[in-house]
Amino acid sequence: MPGQISIRIDGEYVTAQVGQTILEVARANGKYIPTLCWLESITPVGACRLCIVEVSGVNRLLPACTTPVQDGMSVTTQSEKLQAYRKIALELLFSERNHICAVCVSNNHCELQGMAQKLGVNSIRYAYSFPKLSVDVSHERYVLDHNRCILCTRCVRVCAQVEGAHVWDVSSRGIHSLVVSDMAKPWGEAVNCTNCGKCVNSCPTGALAEKGFAVEEMVKRDGKVTRLAARRGGQQ
Amino acid sequence: MIRIQDFSTFNAVREAGLAKLLPPKPRIGVGMGTCGAGNGAEGIYHAFNEIITNQGRDMKLASVGCFGFCAEEPLVNVRIPGRPLVILRRVQVADVQRIIDDVAQGQPTEGLALCKVESWDHLTASVQYGEGFPNIPNWFDVPFFKPQKKIVLRNCGLISPDDIEEYIAIGGYSALYKVLIDSNPEAVIEQIKAAKLRGRGGAGFLTGLKWEFLRKAVSDKKYIICNADEGDPGAYMNRNEIESDPHALLEGMIIGGYVMGASEGIIYVRAEYPLAVHRLTRAIEQARESGLLGDNILGRGFNFNIQMVEGAGAFVCGEETALIASLEGQAGRPRPRPPFPAAKGLYQHPTNINNVETWYNVAPIVAKGPAWFTETGSTKSAGTKVFSLVGKVTNTGLVEMPLGTPLKTFIYDVGEGGTNGKHIKSVQTGGPSGGCIPQDMFDTPVDYETLQQIGSIMGSGGMVVLDEDNCMVDVARYFIEFTHSESCGKCIPFRVGLDQCLRILNAFTRGRAKESDLDKLDEIGRMIRETSLCGLGQSAPNPLLTTMRHFRHEFEDHIRVNRCRAGVCEELALSPCENSCPLHMNIPRFLDLYKAGRMDDAFEAVIMDNPLPSSTGRVCQHPCEDRCRRAMIDEPLNMREVHRVIADAVYKSDRFETMVERIKTHKLPATERKVAVVGAGPTGLTAAFYLALLGHEVTVFDSNPEPGGMLRYALPEYRLPRDVVRKEIELIRRMGVEFVCNTEIGSETTLNDLDAAYNAVFMAIGTWKESWVYLPGTELSGVYPALLFLEAIAKDEPVRPGKKVIVIGGGNAAIDSARTSLRMGADVTVVYRRERKDMPAIKEETDAAEAEGAKFLFLATPHRIVGGEDGKVKGIEVVNTRLGEFDASGRRRPISTDEIRRLDCDTVILAVGEAVDLDFVRASGFTIKENGTLQVDRYTLETSRSKFYAGGDLVTGASNVSNAMFFGKRAARRIDDRLMGTNNRLIRLLPQVEYSQEAPETPTECHRHSVEELPAQERVETFAESLIGLTPEQTLEEACRCLRCDVKEHH
Repeated sequence: MPGQISIRIDGEYVTAQVGQTILEVARANGKYIPTLCWLESITPVGACRLCIVEVSGVNRLLPACTTPVQDGMSVTTQSEKLQAYRKIALELLFSERNHICAVCVSNNHCELQGMAQKLGVNSIRYAYSFPKLSVDVSHERYVLDHNRCILCTRCVRVCAQVEGAHVWDVSSRGIHSLVVSDMAKPWGEAVNCTNCGKCVNSCPTGALAEKGFAVEEMVKRDGKVTRLAARRGGQQ
Repeated sequence: MIRIQDFSTFNAVREAGLAKLLPPKPRIGVGMGTCGAGNGAEGIYHAFNEIITNQGRDMKLASVGCFGFCAEEPLVNVRIPGRPLVILRRVQVADVQRIIDDVAQGQPTEGLALCKVESWDHLTASVQYGEGFPNIPNWFDVPFFKPQKKIVLRNCGLISPDDIEEYIAIGGYSALYKVLIDSNPEAVIEQIKAAKLRGRGGAGFLTGLKWEFLRKAVSDKKYIICNADEGDPGAYMNRNEIESDPHALLEGMIIGGYVMGASEGIIYVRAEYPLAVHRLTRAIEQARESGLLGDNILGRGFNFNIQMVEGAGAFVCGEETALIASLEGQAGRPRPRPPFPAAKGLYQHPTNINNVETWYNVAPIVAKGPAWFTETGSTKSAGTKVFSLVGKVTNTGLVEMPLGTPLKTFIYDVGEGGTNGKHIKSVQTGGPSGGCIPQDMFDTPVDYETLQQIGSIMGSGGMVVLDEDNCMVDVARYFIEFTHSESCGKCIPFRVGLDQCLRILNAFTRGRAKESDLDKLDEIGRMIRETSLCGLGQSAPNPLLTTMRHFRHEFEDHIRVNRCRAGVCEELALSPCENSCPLHMNIPRFLDLYKAGRMDDAFEAVIMDNPLPSSTGRVCQHPCEDRCRRAMIDEPLNMREVHRVIADAVYKSDRFETMVERIKTHKLPATERKVAVVGAGPTGLTAAFYLALLGHEVTVFDSNPEPGGMLRYALPEYRLPRDVVRKEIELIRRMGVEFVCNTEIGSETTLNDLDAAYNAVFMAIGTWKESWVYLPGTELSGVYPALLFLEAIAKDEPVRPGKKVIVIGGGNAAIDSARTSLRMGADVTVVYRRERKDMPAIKEETDAAEAEGAKFLFLATPHRIVGGEDGKVKGIEVVNTRLGEFDASGRRRPISTDEIRRLDCDTVILAVGEAVDLDFVRASGFTIKENGTLQVDRYTLETSRSKFYAGGDLVTGASNVSNAMFFGKRAARRIDDRLMGTNNRLIRLLPQVEYSQEAPETPTECHRHSVEELPAQERVETFAESLIGLTPEQTLEEACRCLRCDVKEHH
């Protein structure tokens, strides 16, 4: 087949298409690589760094979600070092904002929480930052709670690429980064918002939620969003 | 302006430029970079302009760029026809009239001339200025310029940056012309590849290869970008290059555009560089008008445009993908590569990005060929690199050095060492992404690979020199804080990881860090380095990881003893003086108590901090004065003298008994623990004092007939009278310390006996072994080791130096021997192998010796001692030395020449340093370090043998009194901790004395009162103490000079 190449993932030979990313090939072949900011059919940004893998002959770690496969590439998805770094990344996320699961609408349905369980993160060694962050309840149907946000920018990308509204963006920089709607207006005043809820359903945590749900009740359905994105031609 | 379309117009412009550069009348060029302007160059330019116009002088005034020597700004160059170009330094407006008058007379102004330039190789052409002025050094003989090689800075400071004609006059745009005429782009790329030119932005990727990528990329539109978003703290190479020589950048880019097949170039420059922006705008306009930009360049049918974009100041926009995002109008956040810009760059078109300096290297390579270029630099890193040498170094400025030059050449040859004689401890290269390289690694060649290997990077060329006053924890914190606030926030490691690092480092600087934080920093640092998205994130932990590797002890000091030796972390210090005192005396407290007339409280406060206040009041090296903030107003406070006065007031009066009883009240209940202290010198005495007050039974053993160690047997009577020492020891004895004298440990009482009889043993026997130089003739009668000589005098043994004494050495023992000999009627010459400023002796002592008639012979080292037939010394032959390379102490190493001279003498005293008595140490079975000192734990002072502790000179090598006492104090605390199983009972001994917490509203007017000595002729006749102390009035005035740095605002 033209464009077909052969690579090795964790020692196993698999075939791949030129232009596919390591993550795509791994998923297609049933190999698990943890991700948080990645969302199928949406442009990957390589921000969460959980999908880092080792590629032999390359002396640095590469994000699987943005690195295209090359013929003969040999990828390691699990190693002591990778696991240690993924755990640190998760611990850092938990220390960054106020992730208090017991009072969260997404408790038990949260990707961050699930990832922590999966990777065996059961305590945080770093000091909590306890930032004072606001909750935006100005939208009639939805809530934005910055305390739960992990800045994965799925909402930003889904809104821009699938809905085409580009309500969301990231303001400021560094540790002060915040997702904002329109030009940092309350969400309820965002004129571009179509109330479609795609952002809410793509959000991996309880940062974006529907009003009217109590603790543990908010279940996200990102499948709807990604299917729509795939039908529109996948990542841009 | 003429539009250049062929050779004849090109040459016409060139002739016009030469006429401006070398006019038939004097030309005065004022250095008008941002650096010059900041030092007043604009005022100087206007002053020249006014005087030349008003007085109708026939002179040409020009504004030129910067010649690079920042420490000597403002620089002005003057050229009289037929004569060399003379560069004048530190020109002030007041000098202008004089300069003009001198120029009119045909001579450069005396006292202002820095150097001259007879001819200059601009690489694309050379300029002959003329000859003459033999008294002014050539520019390449000035230490700052000597090791430099100007390729990038070839035109800086010599031509006007605002005039394209001057640039063309020195061969500018001729390389471009050549490329366009040859019309063989592949050949140019081959040249760049063969020259091994590497990206000067920091990563060092091969430029030729990058150019080839873009040339081969298939697209209807290609871009080339110049990255001038220079934002490293302390780095300003690119700014200066653009300000001084903007056309060389344009020429490099036009050549690049032609050979890579791009039609558009963009210069992304910081908006914070207004002068660079201004000059670049002007240069682009001029180039366009002259037909060097736009359509049909130089009539060769090539179209190319350059536009300039001002960056809004985000540091991360120096990263190429963030820079492209910024150009596209998006937020400046990096994206993962691949795709690389050469495939998908600006607006998804193939793009090449190079740093400013890379572009500057293009024209010279084209003009002179790759073989010429690779002559300079190291095998893998060809050419030069411009560095901004800043920080705690004498000569600051922009230096262009061949790659592969060792760091010490930068710091000691070009930079001429530390400011105010301070010890340089590290250099930080590569800006906030670089690392700190410690002084013992200054042999490291500066090239891409080597710097990376040791954890730093070349970066864009910042080089910040750090000295003993810089706290490395704070340095790491500073750079992490910088990158923390410049992180884009996209990836978790850089955003949150660095935030955690900063929190932990802040805890360090406040003394609130824990031992486990060191591992945490290391772990997060590595994680950030390996998993961050962009190059900035991957290199951000470098300053932290390198300081932790090379200066780990400073981090440990902050945790384990809550100390910041440099005194930068304010929350860890009471005041700068307290922090610098090895004993950490609460100096503001005793000054205030003295001021309040509370003499007994003052004595109590002093003695509980320092059990030998009267001795240290006379002979301490007073590091406190180097730190005193009063020095910023007038002179440092004489703190040493005030505590001497406080102590002597008690020791020399009938209040002694009362005070002994009062100090005794601090004594804690008896512990029934027995401690032996071996050695009754300052270290042992200090330990004994505190251990006794902590309630232990203390016995001090010493081999001499009286306790006191070096205080009693090495320091001469005129510096420290033995009555003073005896009185101080009396007080310690009265605290319950038992002294056993005339007892040598190792012979009569073995260490095993001590082990059996005591709960702990503290070894503090000092360094009594004189280092010996093995010279022919040392066996002759009349040759003495300095310590034995001084000891014999102190023991009143019948030792007499002869009539003519030669002392070899430059330390305190040498000066003590010299002054002692003078008092015994001898004629004394001190021979030292380095220069006077390198002498380790206290400066006041050296001056006093000279006043008393001692002669000094510097840069000479003994060759052999000549004896007569009677076996007595007749003379000494010394070899002259010259100063060679810098050694680990930051001083030039003396190298023997073959000039020998003979000095007649009958006595030679060798004072070349003291060492630990190795025979003793070997017999004792303790672990010894390579340098012959005892191995102990830095914090607990435990030796390799359990129950045994050691401190003082025995573990550091020969030092001074206060450093020795520091060990005594630490040993007392650590031994007590171990014996009692508690932590820091020593703190209970601190006197609870109330004193004023008000800082003076305005500093007092009074100047410093210094201690004086009796007139030299008078004091040299006798061994009596030569000190004339301060009167009570003077002491009071001195105490009142304190600014009370210890009073913090929140009190």
